[in-house]
Amino acid sequence: MRQSYRIIPVYTADVSGVCSALYELGGMVVMHDPSGCNSTYNTHDEIRWYEQDSLIYISGLTEIDAVMGNDAKFIRDIEETARELQPKFIALAGSPIPFMNGTDFPAIAQVIETETGIPAFAIPTNGMHDYTYGAGLALAKIAERFVQPSGAAKVTGATRTDISDVTSTGRSSHTLNLLGVTPLDFGPQQNADCMKQILAKHGWQVTSIWAMGDSLENLSHAAEAEVNLVVSSVGLETAKILKEKFGTPYVIGTPVGDFTEDLVMALEQVTNNTNKKKKSSEEESTSGGQDEPEIPYLRNRLSTSPEITLIGEAVTMGSLAAAIEKKYEKAVRVLCPLETNAGLLAPADHITKGEEEAENYLKDAKIIVADPLYRPICPSHSQFYDLPHIAFSGRIYLKRYKDILTNTTYLL
Amino acid sequence: MIKIAVYGKGGIGKSTTVSNVAAALAEKGMTVMQIGCDPKADSTIQLRHGREMHTVLDLYNEKKQNLKLEDMTMIGYQGVICVEAGGPTPGLGCAGRGIITALEKLKETGAYEIYQPDIVLYDVLGDVVCGGFSMPMRKGYADKVFIITSGENMAIHAGANIAMAVQNFKNRGYASLGGIILNRRNVKREEAKVQELADDFETTVVGKLTRSELVTDAEEQGKTLMECYPDSEMAEEYRTLTENILKICREDGLC
Repeated sequence: MRQSYRIIPVYTADVSGVCSALYELGGMVVMHDPSGCNSTYNTHDEIRWYEQDSLIYISGLTEIDAVMGNDAKFIRDIEETARELQPKFIALAGSPIPFMNGTDFPAIAQVIETETGIPAFAIPTNGMHDYTYGAGLALAKIAERFVQPSGAAKVTGATRTDISDVTSTGRSSHTLNLLGVTPLDFGPQQNADCMKQILAKHGWQVTSIWAMGDSLENLSHAAEAEVNLVVSSVGLETAKILKEKFGTPYVIGTPVGDFTEDLVMALEQVTNNTNKKKKSSEEESTSGGQDEPEIPYLRNRLSTSPEITLIGEAVTMGSLAAAIEKKYEKAVRVLCPLETNAGLLAPADHITKGEEEAENYLKDAKIIVADPLYRPICPSHSQFYDLPHIAFSGRIYLKRYKDILTNTTYLL
Repeated sequence: MIKIAVYGKGGIGKSTTVSNVAAALAEKGMTVMQIGCDPKADSTIQLRHGREMHTVLDLYNEKKQNLKLEDMTMIGYQGVICVEAGGPTPGLGCAGRGIITALEKLKETGAYEIYQPDIVLYDVLGDVVCGGFSMPMRKGYADKVFIITSGENMAIHAGANIAMAVQNFKNRGYASLGGIILNRRNVKREEAKVQELADDFETTVVGKLTRSELVTDAEEQGKTLMECYPDSEMAEEYRTLTENILKICREDGLC
């Protein structure tokens, strides 16, 4: 039964990715969907739901609304609510029904923006993609709409990080934005804070985290950072936009274990190259001096037969694989069951489609590190290490959620 | 109860033909229900002399669960029970899904049990372009599909598509093809081309309608030809067509 799931669940969908990515930014997120499905993206998948407010709405699409294409009702409901709540933006996200109807979300967003004066945009979800796709596009929209050129963004006092040194590119030296941080991949806020601390120890100041524990105002200053660090595939689209708009170079990888040193070296290298190029030619400055993305976790990997298998999102697992190889000198491969750019995977890694394919790859696995819900499809002779992933098992293992970045006694 | 769906290319004269057949059936003392399955909601306009009526979908949109059958119907010429499924504003929503919803709502409100029509005519928009437009030919709805066409190539192509859809759904217990109705446009080799279409799908041409100015005259008056010119030759053609349709249904044990 190819691409069907009998035992393990599927990863959460694009709509949950949108809600998760935009949760803390003060915008109004409207899912055009029947009421009842909201428990998925707001409670099962959203670990902040009970502690932190967010303006996530479901349109309550009915059968007759879908048939008649009652866009006017959808628009009216949003405008009425937005006028009362004055959100910082309005994000519209589609589900399978409007997808089949061909509902024109960008046009609806334009109408809403014109009539309310509140920035509105559409994220082309349909409930049939992975969370990485939805979250990635949602953050990319924020980059597109809100990030101002360096020096142009309005400084909003307390939310702004103090920056002293300025590089030849006009950016603040040794500063970076963390792109692609949502609880779906990173769990509770302390993991985001932990990344910030690890990088600070290595001399890099995190000026914004896209998008956990941060504000839209702070994110709007992202162009002032020297480099972007894409810590999960969710951040890749945002990195591309920031590079295109402001020439900010980016590095792909998660600061985890011993791999952090390699990552920091890559950051230094990319920024040095950019500064050199900037000095030598003003004209090249907008290109950021970087042709191919820098992915240090793909470098110097062991080519022997993999002894350890990791399952999950490409960048976080790829970085963990590099960290494990470095520490234990045992080859590691990644099975990525998500829609992902093949360029984010090492030669021994695989994109797996469906449970059967994953099971086949796992047949000869000796050591497996994955979400506990994978355990039933792993061979009995393998050693299994729990690594809960909220995008896969929701909040089931939240209390046992391990800090993948620092827990050296556990994995590293 | 006989249930018939009539398909054909847009503008080929489906609503006019179906309305005149409905009037001819009613003349014979039968209880007839005509259901327009088109968002334009103009299938029964001649039978109801242009009077405005609510469509099923408009009522459902407005009243949600409190639908009443009497609000959805209007009694037209010769007592024909007129229903219009309706649909979304052009360019919005989903007309195909609308047809499904409208026919389901009609069933749920007991339209067939309460009116107990002897014959139900589904006048369906254009081609079978999506699932919604195949609804009238699905199990529990029409038993027979008739295709109206002229000898014009585009009309024949549309007819062939519809016949193919009927053929494809054979194993689902959907309606079977009753035959082809020729509505003449006086093009070259018209009869031969339509006969070829019928042969290709192993069916027959059940009626041949002359291109008559009386039909458009009646339309101008907002009525069916059967009402305006009941003694005309054209009225006889509609009566003959009606008899042929009934004959085919009888042969199939539908009445």
